[in-house]
Amino acid sequence: MNREGVNTPAAQPSWSARVNSDRAADGSLERDAELMLRVRDGDQASFGLLLEKHRSPVIHFLDRMVQNQAVAEELAQEAFLRVYKSRVRYEPTAKFTTWLFRIATHVALNWIRDGRNEKHQASLDQESPDGTARQVADRSRTAEQELVYQVKLKEVRQAIRNLPAKQKAAVMMHKYQEMEYAQIADVLSCSESAVKSLLFRAYESLRVRLAHMA
Amino acid sequence: MECPKNGDGAELIVAYAAGTLDSGDQAAFERHLESCASCRQMAAAQQAVWSALDELSPLPVSSNFDAKLYQRIAEEQQSAFWQRGRWQRWFQAEWSWRPAMPVAAACVVLIVAFLVKNSGPVITQQEQAQPKLQIEQVERALDDMDMLKQAGIEFTLEKITPREQI
Repeated sequence: MNREGVNTPAAQPSWSARVNSDRAADGSLERDAELMLRVRDGDQASFGLLLEKHRSPVIHFLDRMVQNQAVAEELAQEAFLRVYKSRVRYEPTAKFTTWLFRIATHVALNWIRDGRNEKHQASLDQESPDGTARQVADRSRTAEQELVYQVKLKEVRQAIRNLPAKQKAAVMMHKYQEMEYAQIADVLSCSESAVKSLLFRAYESLRVRLAHMA
Repeated sequence: MECPKNGDGAELIVAYAAGTLDSGDQAAFERHLESCASCRQMAAAQQAVWSALDELSPLPVSSNFDAKLYQRIAEEQQSAFWQRGRWQRWFQAEWSWRPAMPVAAACVVLIVAFLVKNSGPVITQQEQAQPKLQIEQVERALDDMDMLKQAGIEFTLEKITPREQI
């Protein structure tokens, strides 16, 4: 193993051969896909590297989707567990992040569809009627600024919460993951024009709700 | 520039607010904004949305996230191991016993050959056992007859003795 805990081609000639053939077919193989192929071949350290790189983006994406950090971490665990369990069937047919976010989105949409978000949201609202408890207060703001900020934050949260689940996922990937329309389409398994439609309808709703913040 | 509201307006305005337009398109759109109040209003609203979404900053990830995940993976592997059949486990084990397969096959062949070879004498023993059984049955029947005979004799003696005496 080298310094990064990754097996060298000499240690795993079969992997090396496969990656080279994938490269030949695809032209180039992204680093994450290479790591995932190593995970497929039993290299646990490569899974650690992927986790290190994608842990925060996935959790933050899920946190914005379900608006609950504990649930988001639970769902992220589920997503990474599915990645690990699917390693034996992994083929680098798409970008690794596309595959990863497809799993994460699937997990989040299932959670929302099952109505568990409403129960959680109800309990969250009971715990913090102003919906501000989970946001860390910024000590540089005055009490008045903090109050205004928290009200604004609550409105943003509410506006996002009111979006249909798929529109919400599209906005989260577009705004925070900076994904192209084509990649979002791959993640959501729909056409690029369908993604644009989802996004523009979502932004239209958000403009109506949040335009006064300009 | 033609008013984008008549064409791909939404895409252009979203890209403008996101800052993803190239410099040429951005300059052209900004020139258009100076003369189009409707687009100016829409672009301002989209920029407001864009910056409002920036406020939604997530909290740091729990420090034990990885540990919990690795524990779940270990539990999954454990349960998967026990769910698998015993034979499957043996076949898939790292220390595969596949080299012992020829020896096991040879043992099976020897056992079968032994059973086939000894199948004849087993039948003979059964056949031999049958007469032995019959002898025992005959002996038992004779014993029974003796007993009956004795009883009969006594009975006959009681009946016959007076006649014989006569």
